[in-house]
Amino acid sequence: MAVEMSMPILVVDDYKTMIRIIRNLLKQIGFENVDEAADGTEAFEKMKKQKYGLVISDWNMEPMTGYELLQRVRSDDSTKNTPFIMVTAESKTENVVAAKKAGVNNYIVKPFNAGTLKAKMAAVLGDF
Amino acid sequence: MPAAEVAARVRESLQSIKASDFKDAQVMDVLELAQQLTSTMQLFFGSLDRSIHQEFSYIATYISRTREEISKLRPNDIKEQRIPVAGAELEAVVTDTEKATETIMSEAETILGLDAEADPAAYKERVDAAMMTIIEACSFQDLAGQRVSKVVTSLKHVEKRVTRFAQSMGVHDADADEDEKSEAERKRELHLNGPAIGGPEKKQNEVDNIMDLGQDDIDALFD
Repeated sequence: MAVEMSMPILVVDDYKTMIRIIRNLLKQIGFENVDEAADGTEAFEKMKKQKYGLVISDWNMEPMTGYELLQRVRSDDSTKNTPFIMVTAESKTENVVAAKKAGVNNYIVKPFNAGTLKAKMAAVLGDF
Repeated sequence: MPAAEVAARVRESLQSIKASDFKDAQVMDVLELAQQLTSTMQLFFGSLDRSIHQEFSYIATYISRTREEISKLRPNDIKEQRIPVAGAELEAVVTDTEKATETIMSEAETILGLDAEADPAAYKERVDAAMMTIIEACSFQDLAGQRVSKVVTSLKHVEKRVTRFAQSMGVHDADADEDEKSEAERKRELHLNGPAIGGPEKKQNEVDNIMDLGQDDIDALFD
């Protein structure tokens, strides 16, 4: 199935700069319908109000981390099928394994580039 | 006189009194025994005074030495100068990097939004100006480096003083307080490790390999 390029994407990070970087990278690869949240709590509230085609989330945020957001998303019937990519500086094996067990669709280690983001999005959503 | 010896002499005197036949005793015998007991008790209390005096002297010396060591630790300098200045420097680093990032990203976004073919000459002029602005903004790295060096120097001073104090006073760490314990527990449960020193602990290709593993292979990672 073709990827809908106008689908809404939710970017979750407590650093405005990182949200801006991801926004720019998404724009470069053709996705301009981007929403943002500063932590897991705000992100989940937005997800309950609107259906997103993809969530791109940082791990280390307060008060709700990206890992907790992933767990909550997967345990809620209305959000559990939303594709979820973790983009984080947490690079220990235990983090990757924990995210995989929690149901993450892909995992990107910071720092990253547009090529990596595009490749992981294609792996999750299909080629575009 | 050692306490054990004093106690023995008191015991001997009491046994001597008990063993005496008071009915037939001469007044002088009783007085002699009383004098013997009094002398012994004087020796005992005298030794007690000396012992207490020695203990207090030791405590006073220890307190004096502790005060001297705390003085060398210079806690007021740490509390009022080193730590606040280090905090201010780090905040300035964050502010400087934010400003620089804002400048660089704004210029990059502007360039990306330009139509290069509409007016190539104007486009080149605008790109050249943006590149100069970006190059100038990168000077934050020099300032950030200097600020971080100051913080590192301060931390080394504090580390040196605390280490000297701990070694000199023979201090052993107490358990962390409840707040610290619960914070550490939360970080452990949520795998909040933060960025690794020297780059990611697992590179992207290694992360990809883990993501491709089955459950048995994942379990094997922790065997």
